[in-house]
Amino acid sequence: MEKELEHQFVTNLERDQNIVHKICRIYTNDQASHNDLFQEITIQLWKAYPKFRGDAKFSTWMYRVALNTAITLYRKKKRGIQTQDYDSVHFRIKVDEYDDETEQQLSLMYNALKELNDIDKALVFLYLEDKSYKEISETMGISEVNARVKMNRVKTKLKKILNP
Amino acid sequence: MDELDLLKKDWNRQQGNYPKLTFDQIYKMIWKRSSSIVKWIFYISIIELVVATVLNIIFSGDKYWEDIEKNNLEEVVTILYILSYAITFYFIYRFYKNYQRISATDDAATLMRNILKTRRTVKFYIGYVLISTGITVVGISAYMIQKHSNRDIEQASKYAFDAMDWMKFIGVSVIVLTIFLGLIWCFYRLLYGILLRRLKKNYIELKKLEI
Repeated sequence: MEKELEHQFVTNLERDQNIVHKICRIYTNDQASHNDLFQEITIQLWKAYPKFRGDAKFSTWMYRVALNTAITLYRKKKRGIQTQDYDSVHFRIKVDEYDDETEQQLSLMYNALKELNDIDKALVFLYLEDKSYKEISETMGISEVNARVKMNRVKTKLKKILNP
Repeated sequence: MDELDLLKKDWNRQQGNYPKLTFDQIYKMIWKRSSSIVKWIFYISIIELVVATVLNIIFSGDKYWEDIEKNNLEEVVTILYILSYAITFYFIYRFYKNYQRISATDDAATLMRNILKTRRTVKFYIGYVLISTGITVVGISAYMIQKHSNRDIEQASKYAFDAMDWMKFIGVSVIVLTIFLGLIWCFYRLLYGILLRRLKKNYIELKKLEI
């Protein structure tokens, strides 16, 4: 029974691992921390798995546990100071089709994202993942109205970072 | 916001650029040990209880009991012991309950609230330890001083302690006690401060939304 559950869980996670990687990219600045957080999220998911009843999609359930781990349960370790260049390389890979201006704009955006606090990062992440305000409010434990208000504030904040 | 839309477009294009772990790599991970904040809070609080109990046992050797018997204090001391162990077990129970209640599947706000609740329990426990230690030390000293002054009358020539000496004795005791309790307090602040600083910040951030 236990073996079956393990197999089921790992298969699910292997299929949907991109979600966890994306969260790790938002919340960490280097590969070592990325791997650390990925591992901690995997452990938390596995610990919570017996409670997963399958009434929601595995991926939906994953968003909640993984984000909770990133903003609540994970102990960030201090790493050596990373340079900006290294951050962007870790963060995203350049797409050739963009012109230089777009490329530069995007790189600024990604760096601005890094300056947000944990909660704002979570909101932007859920927004980028195309989650509805209803889903955002359920994941974060705030009302839908508040999620909307907060999202607007984060947009303003990002604008300020980009155009000081 | 144009920039955010651009970001969203790029975000979706990055799908293929993430690492791809194999089944076996993930399988190995589920057996690794968690380093989550909650686990550490629970462990540390258990360690605290154990250390407090061990210290108690070390300091209350045979000699200690002989002294108590000599002074006919058995009843009082036994009652105090039962009381203090009852309180200690109550805290263990609360720590365990808190630990159980914390679940990664809650929404973020509930989860953080539960962790901070755990922290409050720990805070109460430390407060209890500090206050009860203080009262015990003061109580014992007061009792000893009383005893001692009675004996003084009999052996005045040998152990003469004038008012000045008493003042010095009490002054030094108070300073030592304060330093001792201060150290425990600092230790606690440092330990839980490190663990919970970021969490508290995040919780405040989230709470701001509700106003």
